Amino acid sequence: MGDLVDSMLDLMRRLPPTQVEENVASLVAMCPDYADDLLGSVDQPLKVLTDRATGREYLACDYNRDGESYRSPWSNEYDPPLEDGTVPSLKLRKLEITANEAFDTYREMYYEGGVSSVFLWDLDDGGFAGVVLLKKVLNATAPGEPSGSWDSIHVFEAAERGRQAHYKLTSTVMLQMTDRAGEKRAGEVVLSGSMTRQSEADFPLQDQTSHISNTGRMVEEMEIKMRNQLQEVYFGKTRDIVFDLRSIDDLEKARRQRELQKELVGFIKR
Amino acid sequence: MNAAERLGAASKFLLQSPPGEINDVLNDVRNIISDDESLQEGVLPALREYNLAQFITADVPGHNHHSIISAAARVVKADQEEGENIDRFWDPRSRTSFRFDHLSLETSEPEPYEPDAESEPFRSALETSTLSYLGAHYHGGVASVFPAPQSTTRFFIQIVANKYNPSNFWSGRWRSEYILDLEEKQLKGKIQVNVHYYEQGNVQLSTTHDADLPLPPMITPSNTSSASKVLALIEAEEGKYQASLSDAYAEMGEKTFKGLRRALPMTRSKLDWDKVLGYKLGAELTSGRGGFGAS
Repeated sequence: MGDLVDSMLDLMRRLPPTQVEENVASLVAMCPDYADDLLGSVDQPLKVLTDRATGREYLACDYNRDGESYRSPWSNEYDPPLEDGTVPSLKLRKLEITANEAFDTYREMYYEGGVSSVFLWDLDDGGFAGVVLLKKVLNATAPGEPSGSWDSIHVFEAAERGRQAHYKLTSTVMLQMTDRAGEKRAGEVVLSGSMTRQSEADFPLQDQTSHISNTGRMVEEMEIKMRNQLQEVYFGKTRDIVFDLRSIDDLEKARRQRELQKELVGFIKR
Repeated sequence: MNAAERLGAASKFLLQSPPGEINDVLNDVRNIISDDESLQEGVLPALREYNLAQFITADVPGHNHHSIISAAARVVKADQEEGENIDRFWDPRSRTSFRFDHLSLETSEPEPYEPDAESEPFRSALETSTLSYLGAHYHGGVASVFPAPQSTTRFFIQIVANKYNPSNFWSGRWRSEYILDLEEKQLKGKIQVNVHYYEQGNVQLSTTHDADLPLPPMITPSNTSSASKVLALIEAEEGKYQASLSDAYAEMGEKTFKGLRRALPMTRSKLDWDKVLGYKLGAELTSGRGGFGAS
């Protein structure tokens, strides 16, 4: 029944990104047997939760969920508390703590606000995988001011090969921007969506923390690339399509002008 | 979920279809529901609602132009039973009524249709002005002008422009509707633009705009230049709106996009990850919190 999941994913690629949570919930209710496939493949806006132990905000997604509870990267505790919630091995948790500190610096440098979280988990083949989450929300400060949100989800797998490591990265950025009624315009303009890209790379491995600088560089490179592509699609492509539908200039006048020019050229040639 | 709830959910998906993609959405929904028989009947109201709201265009049988399918295009007869002729629409330009199939989008059973004699001269003048406005500002648009039932002074001016480019993963639709009331001296408009760009992603633009344009006193049904004056008002409003969309793009690019994530840090260079880790590790050690992971 891979077909069915394909249809669900195709559907999610077409329906408005602003409704993704509602639509995923409907699909899960329609086909409960495929809930895990769907929730694992469709990225949804990250939820911001607060760690009860440290008071620090963290991000919740399918990767730090166990049942109905989410694990905080700061205290390693589940909320609501779980007796035997899945946690990384001691060695990996140590790396996870350092990764959270490093990506918190990254967040501050690029986002100047927002929330970040990194979660790591052990893989059966001895390697490990992880997810780097970043989120920033801008609220409108005045009625005419724009608002928006950015959610990054970077899922990676790391495989150690002697003094090298091989990384596979899948990155999704969800970006939404709303421009509400200003003085000149009633109504609103909403740009929303998501974009997914993949990359693979090999990097040298000096010690365990090399995994953080290696994935850090990959995530940084990918976000720079994706930010450029988002800029092009959001502000270039969608705008071009609007202007492909309607023209501010009078097309009829332009047509007449072209004809007149043709005539003149013909006249001069004669 | 029972069968009715599943159909309800399917209908909601259909109503959210991006321009030109209703068949793709329907195909996905068919696979998900996997019960063609109940689906076909069950989603008909959603397809009808979608087509009417989105100003889907139809080939007018026996004529070389398209006409808009909308609530205003419905054939209404005084003695008509409710639900009867629910899918008969008319094209005032060719004075033809026809049946419209909401699934195949095909027209059939054309019949001549006589417009209301009293409102027709002004409607026809509005149509002429609307079509020349359409040619001046739209690429491949379709426009229809309908008289309001039981009125000789109210008209619906509807415009739609579609561009579907599935091989390049994008589609777009511009819809405008104006309700002209000569009695009340009012021109109320609504513009909606939808764009879908889905190459390796799903990005959508959705805009809405309402306009309330006061009519100058010289606009009357008997004044022959009134129709072109109405369209001049629409042209000015739509031009202003389109320019304001450019401003909205600029504003979102300058404020929102840059405010969400910088292109580069303040230092104007990428992070030095070795330093980031060294600094963090150093901070860990000096703060005496060492031995992390002991929990």
